[in-house]
Amino acid sequence: MASGLDPVTLSVLSSALSGIAEEMGAVLIRGAYSSNIKERRDCSTALFDAEGRMVAQAEHIPVHLGAMPEAVAAVMRRGPEPGDVFAINDPYSGGTHLPDITLVSPVSCGGEILGYAVTRAHHSDVGGMRPGSMPSDSREIYQEGIIIPPVRLVRGGEYVRDVLDLLLANVRTPAIRRGDLRAQIAANNLAETRLSELVERRGRDMVLAAFEEVISYTGRRTREAIRGLPDGEYEAEDCMEGDGTTDEDIPIRAKVTISGDSMTIDFAGTAGAVAGNVNCPLPVTRSACYFALRVLLPGDVPANAGTYAPLEIRAPEGSLVNAGPPSAVVAGNVETSNRIADVVLLALSGAADLPAQGQGTMNNVIIGGRGWTYYETIGGGQGASSRGPGPSGVHVGMSNTLNTPVEALELEYPMRVERYELIYGSGGAGRHRGGDGVERTVRVLEPASLSLLTDRRRHAPRGAEGGKPGRPGENLLNGEKLPAKADRELEPGDTVTVRTPGGGGWGSPE
Amino acid sequence: MRLGVDVGGTFTDLVALGAGEIVTAKVPSTPRDQSVGVMNAIESSGVEAAAVAALAHGMTVATNALLERRGARTALITTEGFRDVLEIARQNRPSLYDLTRDRPPPLVPRELRFTVRERMGPAGELVPLDEEDLDRVISELGEAGVEAVAVCLLFAFTHPEHERRVGEALRGALPEVHVSLSSEVLPEFREYERFSTTAADAYLAPRLAAYLKNLGGKVKEAGMPAPLIMQSSGGVSRIEDAAASSAAFVLSGPAGGVVGAAYAARASGYADVLTFDMGGTSTDVAAVLGGEAQTTTESVVAGVPIKLPMVDIHTVSAGGGSIAWADAGGALRVGPHSAGAEPGPAAYGRGGGEPTVTDANLFLGYLADGAELGGEVVLRRELAEEALGGLGEKLGLEAGEVARGVVRVANAEMVRALRVISVERGLDPREFALLAFGGAGGMHACSLAEELGIKTVLIPRAGGVLSALGLAISDLRRDYVSPLLADLESVKTGELEERFRALEEAAAGDLESPEFTRRADLRYRGQSFELTVEADELKRLEERFHAAHERRYGYRMEDETVELVNLRLIATVPVDKPELKEPSPEGKAEPARREADFGGEWLEVPVLRREEMGKGSEVSGPAIVEFRESTCVVRPGWGGAIDGAGTLVLEREDG
Repeated sequence: MASGLDPVTLSVLSSALSGIAEEMGAVLIRGAYSSNIKERRDCSTALFDAEGRMVAQAEHIPVHLGAMPEAVAAVMRRGPEPGDVFAINDPYSGGTHLPDITLVSPVSCGGEILGYAVTRAHHSDVGGMRPGSMPSDSREIYQEGIIIPPVRLVRGGEYVRDVLDLLLANVRTPAIRRGDLRAQIAANNLAETRLSELVERRGRDMVLAAFEEVISYTGRRTREAIRGLPDGEYEAEDCMEGDGTTDEDIPIRAKVTISGDSMTIDFAGTAGAVAGNVNCPLPVTRSACYFALRVLLPGDVPANAGTYAPLEIRAPEGSLVNAGPPSAVVAGNVETSNRIADVVLLALSGAADLPAQGQGTMNNVIIGGRGWTYYETIGGGQGASSRGPGPSGVHVGMSNTLNTPVEALELEYPMRVERYELIYGSGGAGRHRGGDGVERTVRVLEPASLSLLTDRRRHAPRGAEGGKPGRPGENLLNGEKLPAKADRELEPGDTVTVRTPGGGGWGSPE
Repeated sequence: MRLGVDVGGTFTDLVALGAGEIVTAKVPSTPRDQSVGVMNAIESSGVEAAAVAALAHGMTVATNALLERRGARTALITTEGFRDVLEIARQNRPSLYDLTRDRPPPLVPRELRFTVRERMGPAGELVPLDEEDLDRVISELGEAGVEAVAVCLLFAFTHPEHERRVGEALRGALPEVHVSLSSEVLPEFREYERFSTTAADAYLAPRLAAYLKNLGGKVKEAGMPAPLIMQSSGGVSRIEDAAASSAAFVLSGPAGGVVGAAYAARASGYADVLTFDMGGTSTDVAAVLGGEAQTTTESVVAGVPIKLPMVDIHTVSAGGGSIAWADAGGALRVGPHSAGAEPGPAAYGRGGGEPTVTDANLFLGYLADGAELGGEVVLRRELAEEALGGLGEKLGLEAGEVARGVVRVANAEMVRALRVISVERGLDPREFALLAFGGAGGMHACSLAEELGIKTVLIPRAGGVLSALGLAISDLRRDYVSPLLADLESVKTGELEERFRALEEAAAGDLESPEFTRRADLRYRGQSFELTVEADELKRLEERFHAAHERRYGYRMEDETVELVNLRLIATVPVDKPELKEPSPEGKAEPARREADFGGEWLEVPVLRREEMGKGSEVSGPAIVEFRESTCVVRPGWGGAIDGAGTLVLEREDG
């Protein structure tokens, strides 16, 4: 045993800490106002220690979780005090893309900051050039919404009205934003209550020792798993289908080096940052790499900062995967992140038994009109694996949001869903078939504007071990094909159809 | 006498309550036909058929059919364009990082999903029901050879006309096929959850109906009144109503335990208790508030969301048989793997070489070396020690340290489970008593109470047959729901009254002189999750909701509009609940003594036999009380006595 805590106390406290993060998640989802959070659960919660290391997280959205440490670090540089709640969404100082607003609260006990409670939620509008704040044609981050550097939203337990007013004045649906932010604050407050209770029961020193030990425990488990992979260099390449300004392929390259119990991922050879918005700030790239690494670990390893320690990430500055201001980034988080994970996993498939590729896109659909914005991501086919066929109609990579129920959608928005079905046979053939994609058709009943941020419309998800690729996706407006990334003005009666990709098959079909 | 017969995984238990008399019986369960065990239990109890006033029954037929996916061959008829709602579900994957894991297969496979041209929207009909299309579907269904059909159309929760027409046509054309309509099973919005509940209803109906018919026949032949069947909600239903609402029976078994626990607690004067039922492979916990088992409409059973009122039981897969192990990071873990009954804990000597929670309890002296379980298995401490020592080598710990560690880790799981049903529901566990039952419950209860700040532990005498006891005293119950989506301030008292009256009228037709409890589901406008509160008076609804919201989520928003979503009516026909009586002990038996470990110290402690104790018998910790089917560890600092209801009431003496 490398540390101060015995194996029993470790187990006991680890369970208590992840319990806190999960309860935060429950409070946020229940209290939220927007469909995107309450129905689709596009949010994540976590607990950090006083040094800014993630101690426990609730399993929600992968792309959120790996990128939280930067947000906490950015807040820590601003001298947070007990009673503060910081808001941040700036991708260039700890955020991912503007709709994801992160709230960070110092969690204190007797005046001492023991750690930080963090909630990140995707707000379905943060202003910018189009309703929903997910334009496919932005070229600068300023077009994507209000940029919030780390600022106090709450000070000494009270709203900082000026900041809240400024924020709400810049979004299209202020009442819903306010409700969602309130739910985030409630979740953060809950963390403080629960951690105080834990300190009361176990003592401060024991709780702090637990922080230390759960992280080093996960570090040991992570190193153990990496050590189990054959040493070597593994390379792969894939691409994004255009950036909203052009429809050209944009290459992403990764070289994964496994040496003993550590891993390096190098993105040398990846395209430079592009004019459109598929660029990734570094935290998003990190999230995708952590996700790929986490897929290799046994399911019972708690996710926290210990996962990150054995992994080095090299991303050339100014490249697609480490873009700087004022590059537009809104689709980097939701689309490019999937491809980065795909490339890293493809490289790692040389070292481990991994499934064929899944749909590799979140199929972002954003429709907004006067006073309303609707955001949906649509599941598709998962890749098949040596263990069995790929699941159908699910989120496969950096997202795991729920769908908006058709009945909830039609009660809330001037739209009608005309079809929501699997596309049987769209998964790739193989000894095990890939999962099937989904077809979803929506008719708008009022004038509205549409943004589509999708991918895998011409490059199909690949099969593995001789399995066939899945069927690529397709976007249609009134039956006419649209590119992978598109913006259109819609007339009442127009229909938007999204067909999502099938997953790759595994093993040669008979 | 009122009989309660509960079918569990291993045993079928019976409790008969008469004038001041309790009769119990325990016979092996008969999984292939649970009714055989039921009749065996009645025979074994010696209760005469003529003396039976009521027979209430809890069973696992529906649960098992769902768990093992052995329900009826079931088809789905749904709105054109929405064939795969059951398979897509909410589109999230079950494991974030295990990309090979899928959700459990849907109850209706692809080839049995049919669509019909029609469409209702929020305001009513958008596309009329196409009768020709319906004829086609019905003829295809006839060829598919199904036993049951779930009819699930969009917006049927508020516009059921198309569903009703489809149901009528189906029943006319295929009279032998069971039909469930989503507008009847669960008239609430959100299609996936409604469809899923309805599909479960159709899937289970033929199996449950066959079982109940078989059981009903046997009971009638024996000359007893028709059985009453326990629902997941904690109330019983008449047998003829049961087959028509199968999805309401998936937690029939565990619900009885909570009702029994509430009854036993009330007999001792405790209205607010957390129930803790720790068995061999799993542990069930639930909250009882004001004497009532708390219910939820958000249960997921065997991967199938079933949004009907069910006793809010939280289950963790940790029990006496849970295996302790060292993981690759050097942490001591307990479960989720279980040694079950075969091979069982290492101490059984049946080839189970891995240490379990039971082995730890035996090593620490809480269980007796050489004790016989069910007259079959003998516990052997040296085998437990060997297994614990083996695990200790991997962790660098002595066998004793491992044993204490296993108990602490298992307790941490239990504490977390108890916090889920208390703290996370806005209930403060310190205001509750902890009622422990099940084979292992009493051994852990005092430790858990200490962790949670609970000052009273209750161990009822009938702990081994509490579910059967709960059945014997369960009220007849039926739940009704009426959707009413409106801003609360726009709702008139008259309208509310009218709606409830209509539900009450329906209930009065179904049950004989029922009592009513009115409830309402409310939320802040814009939210998506409702809280259920008492709805006796319209003007008090809003404040009740604010208070409930604050209790559950920590804040209230009085400036926001409150929205009404559903009205609920619970109709019950109460039954007489006899008092539990405990005789005084006959003389004072000299307790045995044995060594047991308390906080790392071996103490020689008294070992009392519950059978030799009676009303007023006292115990002071550290001590051990051996019940017929379980053991209670009274930790240092705890003490108490058997009360007039036969429950061992332990209080924390220093608290």
